[in-house]
Amino acid sequence: MSSFFGRFKPGTGPASPASKDVPAKKDPNALQPTPLEKLLADAGPIREDGSDKFFGFENFGSTCYCNSIIQCLYYSVPFREQVISFPSRSPPEALERPANAPLPRLNTDTGSPPLANGQNSALSPKGRNSISSPVAAPRKSTSTPGALGAPPGTKPEDNKDSPEYKKKQAIAAGPVLTMDYENSHAYGMSESLFTAMKDIFEAVIVNKSRIGVVSPHKFLEILRRENEMFRTPMHQDAHEFLNLLLNEVVENVEQFSKHRITENGHAEPNGLATTSGAVVPQHSLQSNSTGWVHELFEGTLTSETRCLTCENTSQRDEAFLDLSVDLEQHTSVTSCLRKFSEEEMLCERNKFHCDNCGGLQEAEKRMKVKRLPKILALHLKRFKYTEDLQRLQKLFHRVVYPYYLRLFNTTDDAEDPDRLYELYAVVVHIGGGPYHGHYVSIIKTQDRGWLLFDDEMVEPVDKAYVRNFFGGENVLACAYVLFYQETTLEAMQKEQEAEEEAAAKKATVVPQEGVPASPIHKQNGNTNGHPLQTATTPSVEQEDHFASLNHAATAPPVPHSDHTALEHMVTSIPMLNSRKSNLQSLSKQEKADKVREEKERKAAEKELEKQAKQKRKEMEQKRRENYRKQEEDLRAALELSRASVVEDEKKRKVNPLTATLGESPDALPQLHVHKEKEKENGFTKGGLSRFRHTSMSLRGKPKFWPGNHKDKSEKAGVDESAVLQEGPHTPGEQMDGGTPAGTPDKGEKEKEKGKNRFSLGRKKSTFHL
Amino acid sequence: MFVLPPPPRYPTGSGYPGNPGAGPIIETNNTLTHPTGPEHQLVVGEGTYVLRDELHLATPPPHPSEAPVHNPNPLATTISPPSAGTKLSLVVIAPRLQSSSRLYKLDTTNSSRSPIPPSIQESPHESNSQASDTASHAGNAVAFAPLNGLRVPVFGEGNTSLLVVNGKDSKDPLKRRKPKSNIIKSNSSFVSRVIPHEGISKRLQEHNPNGLFAFANVNRALQWLDLSSPTKEEHMTKILFTKAHALCHDVNQSTKGPSHIDIVMGFSTGDIIWYEPMSQKYVRINKNGVINASAVSEIRWLPNSENLFLASHMDGSLIVYDKEKEDAPFVAEDQAVSAEKESSKTSLTIKKSVNSKNQKTNPVAYWKVSNSKINAFSISPDARHMAVVSEDGSLGIIDFLKEQLLHLFTSYYGGFTCVTWSPDGRYFVTGGQDDLVSIWSLSDAALVARCQGHNSWVQAVAFDPWRCDERNYRIGSVGEDCRLLLWDFSVGMLHRPRAASVRNRNSVTSNTLRMQRTRTESSATRLRSNSNLTTATEAAEVDEDEIVHPVEPRARTPMLPPVMAKTVDDHPLCWLGFEEDCIIASCQSGHIKTWDRPKEGASSDDGATSMTSASNP
Repeated sequence: MSSFFGRFKPGTGPASPASKDVPAKKDPNALQPTPLEKLLADAGPIREDGSDKFFGFENFGSTCYCNSIIQCLYYSVPFREQVISFPSRSPPEALERPANAPLPRLNTDTGSPPLANGQNSALSPKGRNSISSPVAAPRKSTSTPGALGAPPGTKPEDNKDSPEYKKKQAIAAGPVLTMDYENSHAYGMSESLFTAMKDIFEAVIVNKSRIGVVSPHKFLEILRRENEMFRTPMHQDAHEFLNLLLNEVVENVEQFSKHRITENGHAEPNGLATTSGAVVPQHSLQSNSTGWVHELFEGTLTSETRCLTCENTSQRDEAFLDLSVDLEQHTSVTSCLRKFSEEEMLCERNKFHCDNCGGLQEAEKRMKVKRLPKILALHLKRFKYTEDLQRLQKLFHRVVYPYYLRLFNTTDDAEDPDRLYELYAVVVHIGGGPYHGHYVSIIKTQDRGWLLFDDEMVEPVDKAYVRNFFGGENVLACAYVLFYQETTLEAMQKEQEAEEEAAAKKATVVPQEGVPASPIHKQNGNTNGHPLQTATTPSVEQEDHFASLNHAATAPPVPHSDHTALEHMVTSIPMLNSRKSNLQSLSKQEKADKVREEKERKAAEKELEKQAKQKRKEMEQKRRENYRKQEEDLRAALELSRASVVEDEKKRKVNPLTATLGESPDALPQLHVHKEKEKENGFTKGGLSRFRHTSMSLRGKPKFWPGNHKDKSEKAGVDESAVLQEGPHTPGEQMDGGTPAGTPDKGEKEKEKGKNRFSLGRKKSTFHL
Repeated sequence: MFVLPPPPRYPTGSGYPGNPGAGPIIETNNTLTHPTGPEHQLVVGEGTYVLRDELHLATPPPHPSEAPVHNPNPLATTISPPSAGTKLSLVVIAPRLQSSSRLYKLDTTNSSRSPIPPSIQESPHESNSQASDTASHAGNAVAFAPLNGLRVPVFGEGNTSLLVVNGKDSKDPLKRRKPKSNIIKSNSSFVSRVIPHEGISKRLQEHNPNGLFAFANVNRALQWLDLSSPTKEEHMTKILFTKAHALCHDVNQSTKGPSHIDIVMGFSTGDIIWYEPMSQKYVRINKNGVINASAVSEIRWLPNSENLFLASHMDGSLIVYDKEKEDAPFVAEDQAVSAEKESSKTSLTIKKSVNSKNQKTNPVAYWKVSNSKINAFSISPDARHMAVVSEDGSLGIIDFLKEQLLHLFTSYYGGFTCVTWSPDGRYFVTGGQDDLVSIWSLSDAALVARCQGHNSWVQAVAFDPWRCDERNYRIGSVGEDCRLLLWDFSVGMLHRPRAASVRNRNSVTSNTLRMQRTRTESSATRLRSNSNLTTATEAAEVDEDEIVHPVEPRARTPMLPPVMAKTVDDHPLCWLGFEEDCIIASCQSGHIKTWDRPKEGASSDDGATSMTSASNP
């Protein structure tokens, strides 16, 4: 065990023959720095802005949706800066946790209400700032037997490159920041998702280490406490979470400033040192403006509707925090955005209520971007409701996305319509369907190129790697949310030059070894780069693997078994012979060592095999269970939607006009019915809980705005939600929205009215019934 | 000394022994289908293009020694080597007037048909003076003079050390020099198998000299096809390479003959092969990447050159090779590099000049355009200019005779993927990751129009020379969206938004356009063209503004809609070609589709064009 934590110490080299116990023989391997460590080898002093911190996030059983999104937000530079500097107070370094304030330790794993814990003292700032491996270590030692995250049947050494192995390594290497405390009082705010996120960001920045792992206990606890839909251990929708988080942050920030103003009465924005008692930094003026989330993510859409009867055009502005675009096979993001703004006919069941003519009329509608956001979050609607199967299905369409982007779908009066965006983060969904899978993010960092963030693991990747997730037939991993940020041509060119130079440098070094003397080139990886070949239909084995991936990544049952399995894995993995021969010179003594090691290895292997067998059994069991559960959920979902269809049809029969038009007054009760149905079926938990929430992109998607438009548009902003609530109402349409959400719970809906008002999705006005 | 035994060679038809069972074992055959119906037709103004047939090239199984490592991890970070979809190099053996050459030789200056003032040259006097100027420099940005009666400039003709090479062959032009090694008997581990058709000699005899030969790459194979044969699905010769993929290839149009075709191929490993299919001989150049180890993205014979060809490597290098010369490890030539110390983007870094006296070995010339991956380049019909497009979204116009960067443009966004010249050399057209086909004018050094209609990245653009005259141009493009789009671009008929001028012929509007750039381009270019004697380095010091052109905002650029858009395949398309009687497109996975041109209409059109060309012998 000690060798793990000592793996960075230069002393314990392979040269030392004093390998007396099993772990020691791992040293040659353990000493090999991870790719990330190699990347950071020449790094200078740590910057204070947190731009050169690369922390993984621990997965507590299907919390990868949260990890991937938070990582993206952390590397959204202006966002991180604002989170750190709001509310204005002293810089993070100066922030020590108030010594006297008792900090409740909260256990998120069980989802139980917060309870005070005696371990507080162990989590004092000191423990937090230093390498907190002691925190991680005990948990590991309460381990379950040698669980290998690998699919049964593969040899352990194959595993070395597996994400599971790397994740365990990352946890073992530490430091692990156990974020089970909160500093909201120090910020003068009440506990919220925002403060929890701020805690995480600050802890990462303050930490002395460049790499490590964050355990976002507190954050998840708050998230689950306040949002029922994230309470289940089910796979969640990352875009939904992003939307919720952004809206939550907006709300938290606004609440705080309102509160402060009423508290201080005359308080000026920058006279607020009172809360923390610290010096107000110079940039407080800017950072104190509460609208910074809007400033970063918010854009404005103008929807123009032309009534075909009276030819009157009505305009309405809507704010959005992200754009949800429909996908088609073999398209580009550019094209999806253009489709988004294509003219759309409102006819048949989907007529437009014209104020001028006073009635439902056919109309033409189009939505264009009037104000471009600084950060453009693009949600690719990969989860689509399919009529035949009556459930959500993942679209594997190949949708290409360029590194740079401009928007064609701007209004004529848009400011800076040629604004250049650069891609800086991609959230990737891996999996065959919307109900399970895994999320990772690939993010461009300030000066370390692109990195892959897969829960605990952080790994540098080639720029071209970003293009592996266009999707396509039998490609399980596809981009789901794209983050583009505003940039300039100059910045782009500068960066490209730097990038290219670095690449050229690398190229001059690498080929030397890459070009062997023999005529046959030794190149890494796939030898037949032909797309057809790589896109083979998934074999049984592949599926098998996927099942285990699913299990390892998001399956809930044993939250920590993955990490606890570490020791066994590490200690007993036989080394590849070739590697060994490379690493060890053939001196006599070492040969002897080798023999001994060989023996040990074999023994270990046997042991391991045993354990693996056991584990495999368990895993198999779990997987089966898991599968059954998913099946159940699926069936339940199916049943539900069938029921809703029936309900719907009834409805339509009863009141053909309103039902077909989906006008809101009737729809609300109808939605309520869904919920009751759920209860009747006894599926109030699990897979169905997601169905209680309407898709946010849909909710934010206005299709009808009965009443006075001008009125509404004036209020655009806070009260927008009231209008936007009138989304589509047939289940089919809701599904069409692309997020795995369905019938909204009325109560929830009421509650979330204020939150989810910004995400705008474009939905074709077609019905799927 | 231990010598490796030659790699095992597998007998034809028996499949690979010891194949672990993954994937198809046996070489499959190409298939030819004849789908009919309106969904396979292209309906354009001039008529309907009817699908003649669809040829599907068989994708070869992986080489046994290179069995693909199956990595079930969808996040695997291994970098797969570059590959390319099926592209074609077409050649007609019979010496015939290429429509394109007909067109660019058209003397538009004196054409009575054209009401437009003679193109780019603002003063006829100037063009005349240039015409008399033995064409060593016809003015660079000022468009080339009509080539009638002019000697076509030849790359590197000033350098005597380049001329030494092949004295004896020039005596008998019919007897071309063949490569050295026989590809069928080769022991090279680079080539895995060569499968000639059993009746190849008979088929060669039967081949109509006006018929179309094609060379097409699919995966690790390169197939020689006779597209005019009734059994065109049967390849003439199929070469399977062990591991490397041929990403690009080109046929030398000036050396082709009934018993000789020179083809060069560029590989994913950086290797280049000069292959002569009739004699089955080949030579490998840049062996194991000794000169440049990065993959070859595009390869072209230099116009009117028997030996020289140009290859773009993915590390941003453009290298001229001589098919007859041996490789030598390349060291940048000192004087050139030191002179060009700052490898600024606004000039070409000449690592080895064509004028270098050291021409015993390859490379002949070595230029570094940028560090970004070059996706494609195209040589203008006047054999002087070259358009180079890169992954970083830059488009460079290079006078390769003078080894000088003339213009540098930037895409609207994203990388450029392809580029081609109009038959008359006045315009060049690019396609890119902004889903746009962009039309640029050489004389004005400006963007003329953007063509919007693709739903994904554009992969190939081509002019249809049979439907181009001096004012109207037909452009075709194919893309990742599996669609084939046709565009009609007419010089006078551009839809321009706002005040932006497009017709740059008009001096007033062109001046306003130029004033936006706060510099009168025309005077600048003329100035440069007059100072022909300036060396490349001096010229490189010219103000950056003249070379680097800003991105044109959308509001000032005309947007052109397609005249035809059609989904023609299930796979992303990657190549497009126009022939006298057909349009050919190919896709990523080896489907080659051929559409016949409309029967009527087209003939009358063609008659008109040929008449014009006939009147200008």
